[in-house]
Amino acid sequence: MTKPISIVIAAMGGEGGGVLTDWLVQAANAEGLAVQSTSVPGVAQRTGATTYYVEIYPVPLAQLGGARPILALAPSVGDVDLVVATELMEAARTVSRGYASAGQTRLIASTHRVYAVAEKSAMGDGRADSEQLLRVIEAGTRTRLLFDMEQAAKAAGCVVNSVLLGAIAGSGVLPIAPETFEAGIRAAGKAVDSNLRGFQTGLRAARGEVPAPVQPDHKRPQPETSPALALVARAHAELPPPARESAAEGVKRLTRYQDARYATLYLERLAPIASAERDAGGDGSLTRVVARHLAVRMSFEDVIRVAQLKTDPGRFARIRAEIGAAPDQPVVVKDFLKPGIDEICSILPSLLARPILALARRRGWIHTAYLGREVTSNGIGGFTSLWLMARLQPWRRFSHRFHEEQSGIELWLARVAKALAISPSLGLEVAECARLIKGYGETWRRGEANFRSIDRALITPALTGDWPVAFALDAIASARIAALADPEGDRLDRTLAAIDEGALRLAG
Amino acid sequence: MAERSYKHEVDLLRLGEGQTFRGEGILAVTKALLQSGVSYVGGYQGAPVSHLMDVLVDAEDLLDELGIHIEACTNEAAAAAMLGASIAYPIRGAVTWKSVVGTNVASDALSNLTSPGVMGGAMIIIGEDYGDGASVIQERSHAFAMKSSIWLLDPRPHLPSIVRMVEKGFELSEASHSPVMLDLRIKACHVTGEFEAHDNRKAAISRHTPMGSPATFDYAKLSHPPSTFAHEIAKVEERMPAARRFIREHQLNERFDGDIAEIGIVVQGGLYNSLLRAMARLGLADALGNTRIPIFCLNVTYPLVPEELSAFCAAKRAVLMVEEGTPDYIEQALGQILRRADLQTGLYGKGCLPEAGEYTSDVLVEGLAAFLEQAKPTGLDPAPARRLADSIKRQRLDAAALLDAELPGRQPGFCTGCPERPVFTALKLAQQDVGTTHISADIGCHSFGTLPPFNMGNSILGFGMSLASAAAVGPNLGKRPISIMGDGGFWHNGSITGVASTMFNRGDGVLVILQNGYTSATGQQFMPSSTAEGRRAETPFSIEATLKVMGVKWLKTVRSYSVGTMKDVLKEAMTSAEKGLKVIIADGECQLARQRRVKSEDAARLKAGERVVRVRYGVDDEVCSGDHSCIRLSGCPSLTIKPNPDPLRDDPVAAVQQSCVGCGLCGEVAHAAVLCPSFWRAEIIQNPNRFDRWLDGWRRRAIGWLQPETAS
Repeated sequence: MTKPISIVIAAMGGEGGGVLTDWLVQAANAEGLAVQSTSVPGVAQRTGATTYYVEIYPVPLAQLGGARPILALAPSVGDVDLVVATELMEAARTVSRGYASAGQTRLIASTHRVYAVAEKSAMGDGRADSEQLLRVIEAGTRTRLLFDMEQAAKAAGCVVNSVLLGAIAGSGVLPIAPETFEAGIRAAGKAVDSNLRGFQTGLRAARGEVPAPVQPDHKRPQPETSPALALVARAHAELPPPARESAAEGVKRLTRYQDARYATLYLERLAPIASAERDAGGDGSLTRVVARHLAVRMSFEDVIRVAQLKTDPGRFARIRAEIGAAPDQPVVVKDFLKPGIDEICSILPSLLARPILALARRRGWIHTAYLGREVTSNGIGGFTSLWLMARLQPWRRFSHRFHEEQSGIELWLARVAKALAISPSLGLEVAECARLIKGYGETWRRGEANFRSIDRALITPALTGDWPVAFALDAIASARIAALADPEGDRLDRTLAAIDEGALRLAG
Repeated sequence: MAERSYKHEVDLLRLGEGQTFRGEGILAVTKALLQSGVSYVGGYQGAPVSHLMDVLVDAEDLLDELGIHIEACTNEAAAAAMLGASIAYPIRGAVTWKSVVGTNVASDALSNLTSPGVMGGAMIIIGEDYGDGASVIQERSHAFAMKSSIWLLDPRPHLPSIVRMVEKGFELSEASHSPVMLDLRIKACHVTGEFEAHDNRKAAISRHTPMGSPATFDYAKLSHPPSTFAHEIAKVEERMPAARRFIREHQLNERFDGDIAEIGIVVQGGLYNSLLRAMARLGLADALGNTRIPIFCLNVTYPLVPEELSAFCAAKRAVLMVEEGTPDYIEQALGQILRRADLQTGLYGKGCLPEAGEYTSDVLVEGLAAFLEQAKPTGLDPAPARRLADSIKRQRLDAAALLDAELPGRQPGFCTGCPERPVFTALKLAQQDVGTTHISADIGCHSFGTLPPFNMGNSILGFGMSLASAAAVGPNLGKRPISIMGDGGFWHNGSITGVASTMFNRGDGVLVILQNGYTSATGQQFMPSSTAEGRRAETPFSIEATLKVMGVKWLKTVRSYSVGTMKDVLKEAMTSAEKGLKVIIADGECQLARQRRVKSEDAARLKAGERVVRVRYGVDDEVCSGDHSCIRLSGCPSLTIKPNPDPLRDDPVAAVQQSCVGCGLCGEVAHAAVLCPSFWRAEIIQNPNRFDRWLDGWRRRAIGWLQPETAS
């Protein structure tokens, strides 16, 4: 018995899923096949998941003797011939809903990611694991064509839907010649050339010429500078192999952030950790983690650092490239700076900063008093003031913030060293807690407070050695995750309370 | 009406005798109306029927040729009341809305329409927003049809069937003097297909050929006692029998015979395709509609024709009633028909099939397996059906088990540059300062404020009802509630049910009206306060002036993108000692509509060599620390994340995509929320003038002097 061919298209609002569906319908019509499509586009808004469903009856209408196939308006579980998805997670979602089957379904999807709100808004890294998404797709379908179609579409100057159409045309699932689809694109008369280019890319991919994945190296290491060279060599000589790359990066970063003396301090701080780890039989992975976090902590973000970054020699060129400005088009860049009492005090000496901060905290000004400024940073006045601010770099050593940060760093390093003496894995957990301290203003205050509560409630008791190591590891790791779960700190409070109970049971 | 153009669709409406129409279900209905000789059309937009009105409003010339009067009504009650023209005059008319919500709003007019009955054919096209993808409460319109004696057409989701039911529906309405409802489910509105078109028909009476004199006074046409008592009798003694006669004579319902004649299936027309697919999977039908089990397809689900159903059931041991949703009105009626006809046919329905939710082919496979197991037809082993039903269940579970954790949802949200998003940002920040309060949400794009990252709203009571639904909250909460309402909701009924009622009762509360100039969620249709610069002849109504006339004293209009100002005004409204309604109008044009216009205007200006400034926002990825507070306060689709370029850090950093329209929220948020200094704003000056070049030259030189290594 002949069955209709069933196609599910998973897209997001505004991605051209509707146009793709229309192309399929028109091509089937052109071939004299019965076809039906439906969709649940919901409201007119963007970003929501949108599903289109198409059925094509493979026997031409002319051969049916006046009969008309009854086509369904929705996919059936385990009975879909072709799943098409404009993005990786939507592909995996369609598979996980059971429409695809490992015995029947061909899947065509782009491997790029468009992040969902929950992934974007996480305080740390909330991205779904692409490897897992691929495993789901692999396990739930019969054959697959997966590549970065967004990249391919960009290269062709079109939207992802024409690449998908080409891939569908070349998949052999539909009894429709590729030329029919091309004729449809021409007949529609919109962006014909770029759509045809995209279509060809998809078609070639389906026939085996899958575009090689472009894996742009997104990491941007610090440039080599002569003052840092000797220290980089020293890092290589003193530290275990796993830590060397991070430490070299740290040295370059801190030389630029402050000076060679400060970078030397960095290496001096790392050395005892490295030797303690060696003595404990570690492979250097703890030293690597400390090297990373220590460099980030030592290059804390104060107004001088922000001014340095905002006047970075490469910055305006980067911005021009990002926004696609032509060489003859002037670009005006504005920055949103809003230094508060905290930030201003951070560059004053402690003698002045302490009483001001104490007063501001008492009066509640810390949260309310700000100096909001919109600076034209490539304007003459704006650039000059940022440039002057960046020139305060040597002064930083005498600032209040510098002193506070150094004592925070020393405390953290002491904790790591002590934990390491108990067990390298405990050392690693304590070291990772540095991740919580980042950002500016409120974000920084929140992270710092979270670190302190974890230090007080977990790290301190763990370092007495009274807790079994496994319990301490689990407690610290779960508290760190909890601290990054919500900005209000509810989850951290609950987690700390639960661990407290567990510790009591342990003692009793 | 809207910013979008429907030229292609309008061309389809002009097709003549014998030409093939290819398009969507709802457009086929529109074409069928023109083929039926309607004199007037009205409606209120709402998915999935917005398209009908959008296309007709764009088809001004065609409607003019045919003499059809059209109204974009301010709500469904107004649309229903339009059908009053068919009570005393022999003219055909059709109105449309989304149901069940629209039918709720329209029900007063509907009751008073159906009581005297109609002379000219009156049709209500309802988009039955039920099942997968629905955006409203899950209730069926069937109850309205039954209680008001409106005949309910539920055609097979197949364009020729739909078109035939529109054409026959007008005849049925006239033959029985009752309005009819054409019930189209969401997917049926969007289903594509083809049918052979007929010529459009001009009505005998229309705005081109008006009657000239009014109907003679006839008290019997008024829904007023004692006429209403006579109407009640006429409904049961004349109209219902006439309707049943028409349905039978014109064979509006369809019977499909099969070889397993001792059982049968009765199905709502709209579910026919899903049923056939389920049967095909069980080997009980083929793809061309040949069935082994006889099927009675109800293209009219109210009223039922008892003779037809008893004839179908007479020689059968058992029938399965396939009726979506609860209560099971049709199944109950069928039971009564069988009882009265003294038939011993077993009746199956709910029990084999679930009481709630859409009947997909998967659900129906399970239901059919249960039916076959219980009815035990001779020579048909139910075991294969059970095996398929079980394998579907297993496949669903196995597929879900492929995931280690549930995938993050992808709900709809505010568009890039939406003027409503910043208002929720401000509301989030204001509540951080002065404490949380009850948020009364409403229907419209702004209901996305109830989704991440905002998660705000304690109730949604209906379109334009936010303020009214907070009336009893304030006094019992001891805090001023905040009601959110769109301008669409304000004109739909919020001005009366909300503002007038609150003023009249000296209520205390805060109302935030999101004035974006369109009913945006349904496709940016115009409404009374749409300005639409030069594309509407009328002077738009002013919400501000209306509120003043109603006596609102505390009234502030704030540009919606000004997050800091909005936050302060909200705080003031929440904490002010002054009692009474406080209204904040958040003013900002719908960005979807605006972009559609601005893009083409900018393109034209660029081409003409004029100076055009393009604005884009961005993030310095080295400055961003990867905390994503900005995203938690925005949720903009263009504000996303990317891998951290810092070799020493892993958390992804914020990034702005190409799709940014430069609305300014990012900068406002960075300022108002005192976030981080990573956002920048770039103005790209296209076709720069001499001053631009001169200034740019000096700026580059100055930076070059200070920092020779700067690449520019």
